[in-house]
Amino acid sequence: MIKGQRSLLAACVAGVMAVSGGVSAAENTEFKVGGVVALSGAYGVIGEAMQKGAELAVEMRGGKVLGVPVVFQWEDSETKPQAAVQKATRLMAGGVNMLFGAVSSGSTLAMMKITERQKVPLLVTLSASDSITGEAMTRYTFRTSNPVNMENQMMAEFAARDGLKKIYGVVADYGVGRDMWDNLKAKLEALNVEVVAEDYPPLGNKDYSIIIDKVLKSDADGVAMIMTGGDAITFLKQSGQVGLKDQKAVFGTMVMDELMGKAVGNMSYGVNSTLRYHYSIDNPNNNAFVKAFQEKYGDYPNQFAGEAFDGMMWFLDVVDSTGSWNPDDWVDAFETSTYDKSVEGTKIMRKCDHQAAQMGIFGKAVKGQDPKPAVTMEVTHRFDADLLFPPCK
Amino acid sequence: MKTPRFSFAILFSILVPVMAVVLGAFGDVGTQYLIALILIWSLFAIGFDLVFGVAGILSFGHAAFFGGGAYCYAILTLDYGVPGMAALAAATCVGASLAAIFGAIALRVSGVFVALTTLALAQLMHHLIEVKLKGITGGTDGLAGVPRPEFFGINFYDDLNYLVLVAGLFLLASLANAVIRHSPFGEVLRAVRQSETRAEQLGYDIRFYKVAAFSISGAYAGLAGGLLGALMMFVGPDMTRWMTSGDVLIMTVLGGRGTFAGPVLGVILFETLKESASALSNHWYGVLGIVFVLVTLFMPGGVASLLATLFQKVRVGKGRHE
Amino acid sequence: MIGTILIGLSVAMLLFLLAAGLTLIFGMLGVINFAHGALYMLGAFVAFEVYNQTQSFWAALLFAPILIALLGAAIEFVLLRPLYDRDHVEQILMTFGLILILEEAVRLIWGLGYRDLPLPVGFDGSIPIMGSDVAVYRIFLLATGVAVGAGLFFLIERTRLGMVLRAAMNHPAMVRALGIRVDRVRTLVFALGAALAALAGAVAAPVLPVQVGMGFTIIVDCFVVVILGGLGNIRGAIAAAIFLGLLQAFGQHFFPAWIEVVTYTTLILVLLIRPQGLFSLSARRKA
Repeated sequence: MIKGQRSLLAACVAGVMAVSGGVSAAENTEFKVGGVVALSGAYGVIGEAMQKGAELAVEMRGGKVLGVPVVFQWEDSETKPQAAVQKATRLMAGGVNMLFGAVSSGSTLAMMKITERQKVPLLVTLSASDSITGEAMTRYTFRTSNPVNMENQMMAEFAARDGLKKIYGVVADYGVGRDMWDNLKAKLEALNVEVVAEDYPPLGNKDYSIIIDKVLKSDADGVAMIMTGGDAITFLKQSGQVGLKDQKAVFGTMVMDELMGKAVGNMSYGVNSTLRYHYSIDNPNNNAFVKAFQEKYGDYPNQFAGEAFDGMMWFLDVVDSTGSWNPDDWVDAFETSTYDKSVEGTKIMRKCDHQAAQMGIFGKAVKGQDPKPAVTMEVTHRFDADLLFPPCK
Repeated sequence: MKTPRFSFAILFSILVPVMAVVLGAFGDVGTQYLIALILIWSLFAIGFDLVFGVAGILSFGHAAFFGGGAYCYAILTLDYGVPGMAALAAATCVGASLAAIFGAIALRVSGVFVALTTLALAQLMHHLIEVKLKGITGGTDGLAGVPRPEFFGINFYDDLNYLVLVAGLFLLASLANAVIRHSPFGEVLRAVRQSETRAEQLGYDIRFYKVAAFSISGAYAGLAGGLLGALMMFVGPDMTRWMTSGDVLIMTVLGGRGTFAGPVLGVILFETLKESASALSNHWYGVLGIVFVLVTLFMPGGVASLLATLFQKVRVGKGRHE
Repeated sequence: MIGTILIGLSVAMLLFLLAAGLTLIFGMLGVINFAHGALYMLGAFVAFEVYNQTQSFWAALLFAPILIALLGAAIEFVLLRPLYDRDHVEQILMTFGLILILEEAVRLIWGLGYRDLPLPVGFDGSIPIMGSDVAVYRIFLLATGVAVGAGLFFLIERTRLGMVLRAAMNHPAMVRALGIRVDRVRTLVFALGAALAALAGAVAAPVLPVQVGMGFTIIVDCFVVVILGGLGNIRGAIAAAIFLGLLQAFGQHFFPAWIEVVTYTTLILVLLIRPQGLFSLSARRKA
């Protein structure tokens, strides 16, 4: 029996080799994009949207960059840094020209270090942690989507412009949540909006009724929500059932859009949220994108698809403009790039932190008329980029 | 009596890392990374099996030792500039100490309650790491840019070099494991698994033995955690989540608990299956689930025991023909 | 204060509904069903689908548990029956595999997106009680929890079927000798546990997110209730759920950031001091 185990070992190890033995082609016959996004689990719906947006960007430029076809290799990050790093390593070993992703900031931060070592550009169109374009910034990572600080500035501006005087903060109790809230509080106070109370329910909380009751009884006229995905849904469903949004202005970062509307249902109407992107933005670039997206997928693009499309289109435009196969040339060009064909108007890459400066929008959930979804966002505020991004140091 | 088993264990301990390095040398960076990952999780699993397979205690708190080691390694190297190898040693100690504490608390109860108590302790620690101690642990975002060890001017950022380092540590740890299992200490643990009462009546202070086993097991977990942090150059709260304890348990059961090769085989099967299934289809989740169900139904005792039976049959068959 | 207590009780009933099936299956079959969360998720999705077809919340509430009970019976018959005489850890691998399969099934049928089950007509408002606005649906949750708890208690403690159940679990050989088909009793228990998971999924759907992965987030909460109440103890689970519901309600009032620390510390203390559960009055199930 013991010898049996020995021969089995050989078989298993041979299996490892068969499975992962990749070959890397050196000739530039295709441009390989490695996508590492969540394709399963709770964030899978986001990864799928990013996949659609990025693939459409390539399709709309004739499927080519630098005169060769663009090929996507998608990997499931499982929303775990371990998986994200593993998949990114495998993709880079297979010779991808760039990486795209990830969904959660943890996975993105984890990938940034290994992409820097391998000198493979990483395009971020979702993860919002400030440190991605802050202290953890690397030469090879660029973010074309909103950072946390920008989202916060929009929330503060929203509160001030809508005449809110007193704010109640409901903040999911995890590191980033608290940091965001401290940052937002300072911004609110700078705009003379008072913070009357705050609560830190645990991450993944199942019941908010007591906190909702406290909010209702307070003299606040607005409720700032800092919570992600499932927690935001739980809070909105439960607070809607006691009419919170009818008595106070409910707003937050990424707490409502058409996708969340499907989860929250009737309790969505009247909820305000930052939007990374919205299909109703009226400019020729966006109109062309929305039309193509509808033709291809039969639906409006959501925020994740829109941001992915925009970032991918921009990056590939820059690659094309260099006419080079050297990633360092792309990085140099991208650092100083201004993209005036963005679906959000114009985006300017900042050399100092690799963060794209851009305008921001705020929306409110309203009843949509067919063919729009039952919960549709109506853009209510626009904020200029210079209001949202502090100048480079 | 125990000699053939012991020599198999020694042979296995040498063959696995050697094969790993040989395969790695012929493979690309992705392969080297995957093999290093498998060896690291194997370290975790053989340590886990010392408690689970040998002593028969189900722990659901091993994620805490694994993650504890990883955070120890990351914090020491990042914040205090401690050299990598020293930080790995510290990670091993942290894993062992945490396990000793968990063991001292949880082993006051018995049976399934040990699993539940360790789970509760690990959840508490997870919460502290992800939320309350975010100042030093980086909270939900984790700690990025964790350095790899450095000595003799060898570049361990090269995945093949790092694989050799991991393989070397695996060799030592696996040999130690072989010795522990076949020592009188290991015998007592096995006796505990069969009947605690009898072991106690024989005069052994079984609680001491159980806590010691926990602690050794935790050392393996801590070392593995530190190595994984260096491999990924990242440490995050995922490592202390209860799913991590679940993963190592699943791998061990899949391979065959209580056998020397089982935990390692389980890790190899789990990781390669995931790797190949996820490369072939988006539905790898379901495929993995079906494999678990089939293994449970048709391979009681895991892969190791199936292979053992198969081999015996072949041997008997051969004998007949001769 | 009364408002807080009332809300706390409604939280408690949700927790109880989530955990009831888990504790029932553990108590009667000795199986730690990790797939409980997955059955809960499936229950929510089936409820959503039934609602989609019929536009009736009540139909969803009726059919989701029935369909999942059938599935549960099939799972027990095909997958768990061969395992009772084997090592307990094999059940863990099996139920873990089941989670992955059920998650994949939901993904194949409904996709990865979010779903919502609207509140039933007439249950969408709130009523002021002692100065707090309490959602009508909360009261319904409370009533459902009480009804299910009472029903289970009656079934297990007061009916002939319950007597057979208890006997079959404690002395299977004896009961078999009396001519009772123990394996059928086991199938029935698992189906009932699955139905409870699905019922929890259906009633939770209007207040919690409905999505792939929703089962993972509740399983640890379920364990907390089951442990505090004493493994396999239905009465204990009710008491533990009430304890935990009130703890969370008052916790949200006075120390929201420390709820988890307090919960896990309580849990550890209970496990060490009273491993049979905080609320087990009799030692009957200890054996």
